[in-house]
Amino acid sequence: MRLMISNLRFKILLLGLCSLLFVPCSYAASQVEYDLRVGTTASVTVLDSFPDSFSSNRVTITLGEQVRLEDAVTSENLKQLDFVITHISQPALRQWGDSVYSYTDEAGVVWSVWHNNREIKNIQQKTKVKNAYEAFEKYLREVTGGLGAGTAWLGWLCAGLLLLCGVVYACIQLYQRRKEKYLSPAEQEMLRRKRMGNRRHYASQLYLWILLLVLYAPIMLIAVFSFTESKILGNWTGFSFDLYANLFTGKADAGLNSAIWNTVLIALIAAVCATILGTLAAIGIYNMRARHRKAVSLLNSVPMINPDIITGISLFLLFVALGVSQGLTTVIIAHIVFCTPYVVLSVLPRLSRMNPNTYEAALDLGATPFQALRKVMMPELWPGMLSGFVLALTLSVDDFGVTFFTKGSGGLETLSTFIYSDARKGGLTPELRPLFTIILLVMLTVLIIVNVRSDKKKKENL
Amino acid sequence: MSKLLRIFSSRRTWAWPYILFMVLFVVLPLILVGVYAFTDINGHFTLHNFAKFFGHSAAIQTFLYSVMIAVINTLICLLIGYPAAYIMAKEDFRTPKVMAMLFILPMWINFLLRTVATVELFNMCGLPLGEGALLFGLCYDFLPFMIYPIYNTLQKMDNSLIEAAQDLGANRWQCFWKITVPLSMPGVYSGIVMVFMPTVSTFAIAELLTHNNIKLFGSLIQDYITTTDLLNYGAVLSLVLLIIIGLTSFFGNHDSGGEKGGGLV
Repeated sequence: MRLMISNLRFKILLLGLCSLLFVPCSYAASQVEYDLRVGTTASVTVLDSFPDSFSSNRVTITLGEQVRLEDAVTSENLKQLDFVITHISQPALRQWGDSVYSYTDEAGVVWSVWHNNREIKNIQQKTKVKNAYEAFEKYLREVTGGLGAGTAWLGWLCAGLLLLCGVVYACIQLYQRRKEKYLSPAEQEMLRRKRMGNRRHYASQLYLWILLLVLYAPIMLIAVFSFTESKILGNWTGFSFDLYANLFTGKADAGLNSAIWNTVLIALIAAVCATILGTLAAIGIYNMRARHRKAVSLLNSVPMINPDIITGISLFLLFVALGVSQGLTTVIIAHIVFCTPYVVLSVLPRLSRMNPNTYEAALDLGATPFQALRKVMMPELWPGMLSGFVLALTLSVDDFGVTFFTKGSGGLETLSTFIYSDARKGGLTPELRPLFTIILLVMLTVLIIVNVRSDKKKKENL
Repeated sequence: MSKLLRIFSSRRTWAWPYILFMVLFVVLPLILVGVYAFTDINGHFTLHNFAKFFGHSAAIQTFLYSVMIAVINTLICLLIGYPAAYIMAKEDFRTPKVMAMLFILPMWINFLLRTVATVELFNMCGLPLGEGALLFGLCYDFLPFMIYPIYNTLQKMDNSLIEAAQDLGANRWQCFWKITVPLSMPGVYSGIVMVFMPTVSTFAIAELLTHNNIKLFGSLIQDYITTTDLLNYGAVLSLVLLIIIGLTSFFGNHDSGGEKGGGLV
């Protein structure tokens, strides 16, 4: 009972601390001067030239929805507008409003967002964005304090929760202290010591949890914002499964789809090749003389020590020197290069656990080397091969540096390079969020299952 | 045919394809980096590229700055990671493996995506992107590489040594500094190597985290090597990086690579 109470107390403390994090968010959200919630409509004009020809289109931006093009504007109805996006600064515009936001597009033209309300928060920032609409959404997000004004209640809820936690914690503490009064001095001393130990225990647990919280904060950001359809990470426009639907029905960006397939294809081919090559190599290395084995192990460790950029650049130089045009094949070769050593390392321990004579026995009984390999060695080696294969798969999927230098200029993109070029342009394809949320969940499940199973096995063995 | 069969029966030969492959795609490319560094664009021997590097103060500054950032990042990772590894190894958890696993799980999310998310987090909190963001992002990306080897060595440590020290009158603090720390040094070394090497050679992350305001050595190499005319100069920069990597792994001189992969699954 005692342990339960202190454990409960710890949990309450943790919950309180977590909710503490939301208070600044809610404060920021409550400080918004211009309320633009989901569904708010603002008229925006994108001007290419000013003022003689208003050839550009007037658009209505509804937060969280697609931009709708409307009729062309004339100089008379400038007064009715809320926002103007243009790359030309004009006295007429200055009379009408203020430039509240500026950004550079892909062509290097500096655009600014003008607003007729002079009270509005002035955010002068230079960021690279894909187009005017994206910049505008980004701007609105800045204005609305990140989470959007509609989420201020969340912060107040958390603050309330924090208060509640504090009250409950204090009550438990008081209740315990009161009970202790009736104990003998010796017992009280013991309790004090135990409390010191407990305190150390909880302090260290708290440290780990805070670290995990920080470590997972960006990932949680991705996971949470995978359930909204906003183009920009960090702009909550209501709960929806649209991004998941887009991902699975292939409605997502065509580049993303091909990147996913390329990644899977490359990872599978590279992992299979690496597993075969690595297993054979491990058997060979295991049967070598000690001196040769050392030399080959050294060779084996070179690609593991080399950072991505060195492996990538050196292979790039090789392909340039050989005059090979770079593409899918070169990427696959490069992936085999850095995956195979890990396969070798995961197969080698299996070999040393195996009876070395079974293979020879099989040969003596008339098996060909291939039969002996398949029927005698494989059954013993497959767990090592499997873990090597899985490792190769994850290394290949996660790789960026090597792929970047060996993919050539033919437009081949894997997920990593796709994210990189996407991020460089300033945005992030929204469907990446659900994709990685799913990957995270799958990995979490797999790891938990594997670990629980191995724990069980250990218990059984004891 | 029977001769061929005999060659294949001797299992020693099974490593040959792999050795051939590695020589072709690992050793040869590394030699090529050196060759390119010592030749000009027409393939003639020259020392001009090296002279250019030593006269190129911006490149040398970037290099020193990258090394400094890597050292700072390694220190931060060590300061944050050691206590975490120590707690995980020494405290009682109902599911110690799950705890260790939770620290490794983020590595399965593409690091570029995590970096972009970090940038967004900084934007959301209204924090400026710059050196602070760079250090946070680097530490965030490489912390598991520090925690894991230290955790491994601490976990394998013989607890009876600490008990013996306590019996002989050492207090907790003395126990920690005289027993635990020296015994965990192999893990610390390999952690340092595993954090320092990717940090010093990092590219892409820095430009995302700082809106391209801070350039690290890796990005510099990337710029030169992808420009055809400056390929040879890029090779010189790569060679400099390669020397740093070589020195680090020489002084680290531990089987860092094996733990890097072997422990993850």
